[in-house]
Amino acid sequence: MPELRLASLPHPSPRLRGRVRTARIMAASAAAVAIVAALAACSPGETERTTLVYATGDAEPSCLDPHVGGNWPQALVGNQFVESLFSRNDGGEIIPWLATGASEADDGLSWDIALREGVTFTDGTPFDAEAVRANVEHLKDPATASSTGVLALGKVERVVAVDEHTARFELSEPDGALIESLAQTWTGMMSPAGFERGIDENCQAPIGTGPFIVESWQPQDSITLVRNDDYASPPADASNQGPAHLERIEWRFIPDAASRLAALQSGQVDVIDSVQPDALAAFGDDDAFSTATFARPGVTARIELNTTRAPFEDATVREAFALSMNLDPAIDSLFAGTLDRSTSLLSSSLPFAASFPDRFVYDPDRANALLDEAGWTARGADGIRTRDGERLTVAFPVSTNQSIPAEVSLLEQIAATAAEVGFDVRLELLDLATWYERSGSWEFDAIIAPYSKSSPDVLRTVYHSMGIPPAPSGYHANNTGLSDPALDALLDEASQASDDAVRGPLYGQAQQAIAETGMVIPLYDQMVQLAYSTDVQGFRLQPQLGTPTFLDVTIGR
Amino acid sequence: MSALGGRLRALALRLFGAVAVIWAVVTVTFLAVRAVPGDPVLAILGGPGSNATPEAVEQARADHGLDQPLWLQYVRYLGRVAVFDLGDSYDLRRPVTAIVGEQLPPTLGLALVALVLAWTLAVAFSWWSMRGGRVAWAIASFLEAVGTVLPHFWIATVLIAVFAVSLGLPVAVSRPGAGGLILPAVTLAIPVAGFLGQVMRERMLDTLEQPFVVAARARGLGDTQVYFRHVLRHAAVPAVATTGWAFGSLVSGAVVVETIFARPGLGRTLLDAVMIRDVPLVCGALIVVAIVYVLVTLATELAERLLDPRIAGGAGAVEPAPGGAAGPGTPGPGSVRGPADAHAPITPAGAP
Repeated sequence: MPELRLASLPHPSPRLRGRVRTARIMAASAAAVAIVAALAACSPGETERTTLVYATGDAEPSCLDPHVGGNWPQALVGNQFVESLFSRNDGGEIIPWLATGASEADDGLSWDIALREGVTFTDGTPFDAEAVRANVEHLKDPATASSTGVLALGKVERVVAVDEHTARFELSEPDGALIESLAQTWTGMMSPAGFERGIDENCQAPIGTGPFIVESWQPQDSITLVRNDDYASPPADASNQGPAHLERIEWRFIPDAASRLAALQSGQVDVIDSVQPDALAAFGDDDAFSTATFARPGVTARIELNTTRAPFEDATVREAFALSMNLDPAIDSLFAGTLDRSTSLLSSSLPFAASFPDRFVYDPDRANALLDEAGWTARGADGIRTRDGERLTVAFPVSTNQSIPAEVSLLEQIAATAAEVGFDVRLELLDLATWYERSGSWEFDAIIAPYSKSSPDVLRTVYHSMGIPPAPSGYHANNTGLSDPALDALLDEASQASDDAVRGPLYGQAQQAIAETGMVIPLYDQMVQLAYSTDVQGFRLQPQLGTPTFLDVTIGR
Repeated sequence: MSALGGRLRALALRLFGAVAVIWAVVTVTFLAVRAVPGDPVLAILGGPGSNATPEAVEQARADHGLDQPLWLQYVRYLGRVAVFDLGDSYDLRRPVTAIVGEQLPPTLGLALVALVLAWTLAVAFSWWSMRGGRVAWAIASFLEAVGTVLPHFWIATVLIAVFAVSLGLPVAVSRPGAGGLILPAVTLAIPVAGFLGQVMRERMLDTLEQPFVVAARARGLGDTQVYFRHVLRHAAVPAVATTGWAFGSLVSGAVVVETIFARPGLGRTLLDAVMIRDVPLVCGALIVVAIVYVLVTLATELAERLLDPRIAGGAGAVEPAPGGAAGPGTPGPGSVRGPADAHAPITPAGAP
């Protein structure tokens, strides 16, 4: 820094040299002392560490109630104070949490869910069947503006309290994914008394049964969580059955990846998320830090092709595009070996995920042959193929809010290799609102859109034809535009089955059918990537969604 | 009458100008935010990885008045702005005035500290380069030129790399209090200091040849005394005039600095609001920034007049009049520029 060099420059004027030198040294020393004192004042003291500082690089939620909207940032922080009826264990099996069991009626049109006894929300309201009913009602109220939660419970018509500790979910049609849907923070349980305060107040400080309580929320800065001293409702796989060891969590919003990393390295924060691939790889060799990764349940990060217009209305062109991508070395180098390439439509953390390694390979010769076959035979001066004077362009809008730099680099490499067989891939980096506009109006040929759900039923959300036209706004979960009654029937049938011996093969068939359309090109699992100081012990990612839990955490010194 | 009337008219014109600036900001941002494709409701309800139901979309549209024609939205918005009701943020579900009220003080505080720091650096540099001769002059000139063009994100990244990563100091992200203010303020101050320094030294070149400076030197005053009693005042005039501009640059720089150092503030709020197209918040924040900018510009004009009464169109002094505490040897009003002759003692009017 130029100014820092000032004090060390020679003083050229002979007059007053001595006096000025003394003054200069004194001024410099005073400034240094002031800076050091100021810095020391904000460093963590030598007191016992019962406060953990978590730094998130994900967006700041606009509402802390995970029923409202329902996105990843809400699930991340919501898991600290809102608990769900069910969870998953490390083996991917559903385990009890606020519920103790569930039984399906013979006709599949209702489920009786048995609830844990003796649990209260942190405002003292008892957790019972009436509370479950109030939660589902809150979720389904249009004023709540739920998106993820209400879609997950789309088949639930109402909940009735059979007795104090039994809630009956009445359905419009059988729902084999119901229990999985209830194992998500977006369908978590909050105090009915909290809802009565109104949506805006509930957004500021939702009241759950979790190990922590929302004490305050400073927008743009942090959420302060304090320990729930009466906590007694851990999921079945937790090692700590009582209150958390930590007294407080400071949940800080640090959007810049480099600052977040530096904050962890300088001890200013204890845990960071959204760790970039290069840093994640570097931490692998560093004894002072540990990392935790988890494949987000849901669909994989994948390229989806718009089948409603040229060029991808033609399955041959879709196949050629997929074959033009040399993904293995690109993913390995750009993500610094921190994640594996996926050939699956479903996240590896979900049951019944099928892989198609033979389908998604790099074969430029075959890609060229397919394009010739499809009639894109002429080439322009720049090597881009044409057909009847029309260029083979691929409009590819990319949301900079959703794609990290490594992913953007990967797309650039994909565009480069696709150009070798004659595709003109036009990547457009857009803000989120513009990206939604493109998606909603079908102004794209290829797109990447994340979707998380703790059930293979996510395939129905994303690839069923009902996901194509629904909202009057044009917004849709299905980005392929492919309407196939046979696929719809398969996805419906799979979603209605609750017996794994039945639904497993059905989901296998559905994935096969989707893969054969060529409208999806899997890239890799959507990863949750965290790094933390090794002073932090007992930290883990809870397998229902891969969100962090601090119930068992202590901070050593 | 004429003097008072003239002043009142000038004041009215100035107020009218300020209102016009703010109205233009309201209109341009209102239209610009809507002209870009993208439905704010989808961004608000959508968010990464979620899917709004038709009912929720309709509800939100009606709640925010987005089902109304654009002109009606505009007229209603103007009407509300006139009574300083900036509406509710789509995203944060709170009044924009409350959000801006919370986020403005940290940004103003940061900008003010950065401005003081920038002035201190600029004065220190010009003083040092006056005393240091040719070499110092050249070095100062070079460093200022470099400082002026350094981007904020680069300065911030280097400061974090040096102080947080290498030295392990807890300064990567800003905490409340003086300690958290240092690196963000230094980041903002460096380019402004470079610019102010350049402007000041340019004027110094001219000032150093002025007879009153020559006279002061002839009376045996040292460089430092000459600088602080006589030269600084003159050199500062054009720098003060550009401080209004500098303040604008500090506010825009706050967008970058607040994001990198994870500080709360209006800059970061504005960035987030633009990303998800939170129209009321974007417009509200920009209106407040425009008001602050107008106020700062007025303040710098006032400061210029205090430093250099010629701007007021007053006595017709050739040289800027000194303040009350003028030291010996300063030229009084009406003093005549004489030939620069260090050996001939010049006794200015009014001197003992």
